[in-house]
Amino acid sequence: MNCHKPKFIKKYSLVLLLLFVVGIGYAQEAPQPYKKKVLEKIEIEFLSSYYVQEGENAAVSGGIGDEHLTDITPTFVVSVPLNEDDVLTIDAGISAYTSASSSNINPFDGKNPANPFQASSGASSGDVWAGLNANYSHSSDDRNKIWTGKLSAATEYDYFSIGFGGSYTRLFNEKNTEISVNTTIFLDTWKLIYPIELRNFNSGEDEDDFNINRYTITGNPNYNPQFTEFNDKKRNSYALGASFSQILSKKLQGLISIDVVKQEGLLSMPFQRVYFSDVADSFIEEFHLADDVERLPDIRNKLALGANLNYYINEFLVLRTHYRYYTDDWGIDSHTAKIELPVKIGHGFTVYPSYRYYTQTQANYFAPYNEHLSTEKYYTSDYDLSDFNANQYGIGVNYTDIFTNFHIWKFGMKSIDLEYTRYDRNTSFNANIFAVSFKFVQD
Amino acid sequence: MLLALQSCSVVKEYEKVALSDPDMVLSPRSVERFKTSFHAYRESASGAVGGKTGGGCGCN
Repeated sequence: MNCHKPKFIKKYSLVLLLLFVVGIGYAQEAPQPYKKKVLEKIEIEFLSSYYVQEGENAAVSGGIGDEHLTDITPTFVVSVPLNEDDVLTIDAGISAYTSASSSNINPFDGKNPANPFQASSGASSGDVWAGLNANYSHSSDDRNKIWTGKLSAATEYDYFSIGFGGSYTRLFNEKNTEISVNTTIFLDTWKLIYPIELRNFNSGEDEDDFNINRYTITGNPNYNPQFTEFNDKKRNSYALGASFSQILSKKLQGLISIDVVKQEGLLSMPFQRVYFSDVADSFIEEFHLADDVERLPDIRNKLALGANLNYYINEFLVLRTHYRYYTDDWGIDSHTAKIELPVKIGHGFTVYPSYRYYTQTQANYFAPYNEHLSTEKYYTSDYDLSDFNANQYGIGVNYTDIFTNFHIWKFGMKSIDLEYTRYDRNTSFNANIFAVSFKFVQD
Repeated sequence: MLLALQSCSVVKEYEKVALSDPDMVLSPRSVERFKTSFHAYRESASGAVGGKTGGGCGCN
């Protein structure tokens, strides 16, 4: 018996020692209250759109000409939970477009008589824009404070843009009230592309092998534009925004927001022609040769005020409304009003009919084709800066599968969105947009 | 107006069933990003919708 006692004590001493060590280990890691992750699993969203526009007021040809444009935009958005509080979102996409108006930067491709209503087949008839955004967000333990930081880069043939910014969001009043401030800075650089007839005008030769002396100039045969190249290739944009949202009842919530933007640098499009009424017109074939390119101030200050109000009518119907007032120091004032009425039709399907009205006054520097004077300091014939209003009608369908039954690899499909939008200006311009989204969540 | 109304009542978490409906979100749906981008290019006004407020060319 005695001989067993030391062994017994030794055995239990070891167990006690082990429990003690483990106990110290737990004591050093203070017990953490359970925290629900901000994002539970990796989410992947694939989005794309097909856009087509028509119009007869192309800015590249000074306010007249074909505006036909098509654009396809495949995009991936991947959100990754890094831990309970942090989420990294990567957003990468391209936009591949063909543009009749851009093609007429050089309308003299030799296949058809040059004409602003006829697309050319030159290098400028299409391009690919590519963009990458990274967004990092951190939420506090009580989820009442959210910080985000973001970086972006975008490029196309004649343009490169980098951007960075951040935001801070504070929720209080039992998450009934939310205040957010954000800022973004874009630093952009142009590769200056001018209308073909203005490039190297004095030498008569151009890298695109265009030689104006090979053509017969009609109208005024002594074509001699007073054209000088831009000195500045930079465009910087500084945006500062704030929003305030409030739950107003169990079925009603609203938001008001303000954005202030300052842009400086080259704000003109270097390939958009302008024609002066006090300069004799010169033509090659049926194409009016540029008197100059668009000239706009190198500073623009913008102010936008927005309001959203959403009302839950019943389990089948929600009312979503939006209004925005906008003004800038180029003389443009605009109003935007939108209403959307999501209707749940059962089995996970929701239909989204919507209507949007937009109206703007024209910029101080706008005049239609061949109506500017050469004595003016600033001028443009870009109809996006003209006085117009637009009606937009949309219909969308969403299907949400809460059980994510359909799988691709280790991801279940969470939702599908399809949307069609028709946009009509009171000018010659109209557009159609088809958009689709597939959202997947990790198993 | 929202500031004036915010003190009227506080909606508790368990009373937010309707407010948690995905269609009650105050920001645009993700599939609407292409429209926001198109509006920023084709209209002079931008901002105050949670979309792009600067940068990028918008040339075409």
